[in-house]
Amino acid sequence: MTDLKLIEECRSGNLENFRKLIETTSPFAFSVAFRMLGEEDQAKDVVQETMITVWQKLKKINSAKAYKTWIYRIVINKCYDQLRKRKINPEFSVNENTWKLISDKISVEPSTEMENSETSMIIRILTNRLSPKQKAVFVLSDLEQLSQDEISEITGISKSGIKANLHYARKSISVMVEKYL
Amino acid sequence: MEKSDEKLDRVINLLRNTKPLLGSTVDIEREVINEISKKHQNRLVISDIIDFLFGWAYIGWVRRSLITASVLLVVFFVWQQGIIIKQINYLSSQPVIVESEARSYLTDFSGNKMMLFKLFGNKLPAQNVTISKKQMDTLLESVNDLQTKYKDLIDLIEEDPELKKYIENKLTELNRTKIKL
Repeated sequence: MTDLKLIEECRSGNLENFRKLIETTSPFAFSVAFRMLGEEDQAKDVVQETMITVWQKLKKINSAKAYKTWIYRIVINKCYDQLRKRKINPEFSVNENTWKLISDKISVEPSTEMENSETSMIIRILTNRLSPKQKAVFVLSDLEQLSQDEISEITGISKSGIKANLHYARKSISVMVEKYL
Repeated sequence: MEKSDEKLDRVINLLRNTKPLLGSTVDIEREVINEISKKHQNRLVISDIIDFLFGWAYIGWVRRSLITASVLLVVFFVWQQGIIIKQINYLSSQPVIVESEARSYLTDFSGNKMMLFKLFGNKLPAQNVTISKKQMDTLLESVNDLQTKYKDLIDLIEEDPELKKYIENKLTELNRTKIKL
């Protein structure tokens, strides 16, 4: 993903090289943030804040692998902050169009591409009832396909906690899918 | 049941295979570089201190809680110090009576005791005594009473010339010429 040489060059305070680091890091940070928050603008804000934090704390990193885990951790924590700011909407209503969209998409080729707006709708509707931790575990495990060790290192949750959160997240989404599809 | 698991898997596959697209990173780069330059120009000592002390706390609410708790502790400490100084100033301004003067008066009547102290090298400790308002009132009452009785006694003696003469003769005999009637 990102080589150690680029990180070393950025540590010396070289803003030009830091631009390259932003270029390589932003896409995957955006992917995680978007899947957590379900909103493009908020996800971009999280990516910006993440890169500012990276610039301030870059001296702590001494390997490319540690850098990736560290980025995930910062993104997830900033997403937690955003999710806490959101007001809880008890009257969240099911969007019929979204379910029709999901049904159409899964009935065709699985490699069908979707627009960000379509993905956003699906994520928000499926993960509405999940807590921030459950969301994080679901996104990192099922969507980002990280191992339990990596998820544990990123979130600080124990392996048994990860299993429990993942089980509940899948169950909650499954109930929604069974009800509306 | 199997069918719902299948549907869930297909939904998760749909989300997994649809990577959220960031598009151009130019906007994010520009915003991040601007923010970094601004922070560099407007470095406030307080922000640096906060980052130095609490920079390890990535989660926003944890950092804010720690800062608030620290500020409250400092304010409480300063307030306590103010109270202590106020008390010290009040106590310093209270009148103090040195008991050593009363002690030396008493030794005139117990000359033998004083001799003993001198022989054996003991020294009379100088003591500071604080007397209460009640004690002061009692003392003043006693003095007033004594003065009244002395005046009454003098008046009695003045009324009787024979008595006056007798007392004067006696005083002369005993060589107490300081007392004049």
